[in-house]
Amino acid sequence: MDNYVYMITALLPLAAAMLVFQVNPYHALVIRGMLGAIAALVYTVLGAPDVALTEALVGTLLAVTLYAVAVRSSLVFRLGVLQEDLSDAQDHIAPDVTPLQQVVNGLNTVFKDYHLRVELISYFDRDALQQALMNKEVHAICERGSVVEAREAIAPGVPDSSAPDSCPPPYRTTTRLRRLYDIMNSELLSSKTQLSYIDHAAAGEVVS
Amino acid sequence: MSFLNLALMAMIVALLIPLYEAWRDEDIWQTMLSLSSVSSKTAVMILLVSVLRDDWMVGVAGVIILSVGNAGFMLLAHILKRLGDS
Repeated sequence: MDNYVYMITALLPLAAAMLVFQVNPYHALVIRGMLGAIAALVYTVLGAPDVALTEALVGTLLAVTLYAVAVRSSLVFRLGVLQEDLSDAQDHIAPDVTPLQQVVNGLNTVFKDYHLRVELISYFDRDALQQALMNKEVHAICERGSVVEAREAIAPGVPDSSAPDSCPPPYRTTTRLRRLYDIMNSELLSSKTQLSYIDHAAAGEVVS
Repeated sequence: MSFLNLALMAMIVALLIPLYEAWRDEDIWQTMLSLSSVSSKTAVMILLVSVLRDDWMVGVAGVIILSVGNAGFMLLAHILKRLGDS
């Protein structure tokens, strides 16, 4: 057998090791495509062009595309927000400075390490938002807290011109999943939201 | 004959470059570029082997893999682009 066959065959475990040790799911999918191409080459060189054709058509084309759709739809953190908050953020000239955008940016930073992406789903009123959380349509909801009441509770009679670091966070993020609450509680650094966890089984029990 | 063998060796070494790039890089689009590079290189290597062995059936398989690899690359790129938009 020719010399180059051994060299080409040695590429296959190399690509397979790269695939196994890759942690990012999307990178792993692309490397799976490379593994498929190299596998097709090896099968052809070893004298099985029919197997190589099947590997290229099914193993690389179909499997990678289906897995990309599956990973894209499963690795997602759905956050329910109110329509009015979202339109406020969109109408704003510099959208990065709105509090909701800051909260979403903070969540994006936290969940980037877990390869989750944050998807915003808008609802028209607060009842629909709460119902969506209970019906498991969203993983968490982010709504504007009652700022005025909280401020009154802290310092009654103080006008709105108080120092910004003394006022409470304008948003309140509620999640129904314990693991998400633990992650956000330990890593989310945004001062624009306060976190709470609601147990879905014993609905009504709120841990702040 | 010897020249084609040497060319095949050089292509195997060249195939290691995009593999290293895919292992090292963090950007998903750089990894996609490596995938495109590897896919084209392996298809051309299959064509070279078919010429080396004077085997037309292997050559036909190489041509089909070359064209299908581009189609799969475009599908995957569209899904990843939708991911970046949302």
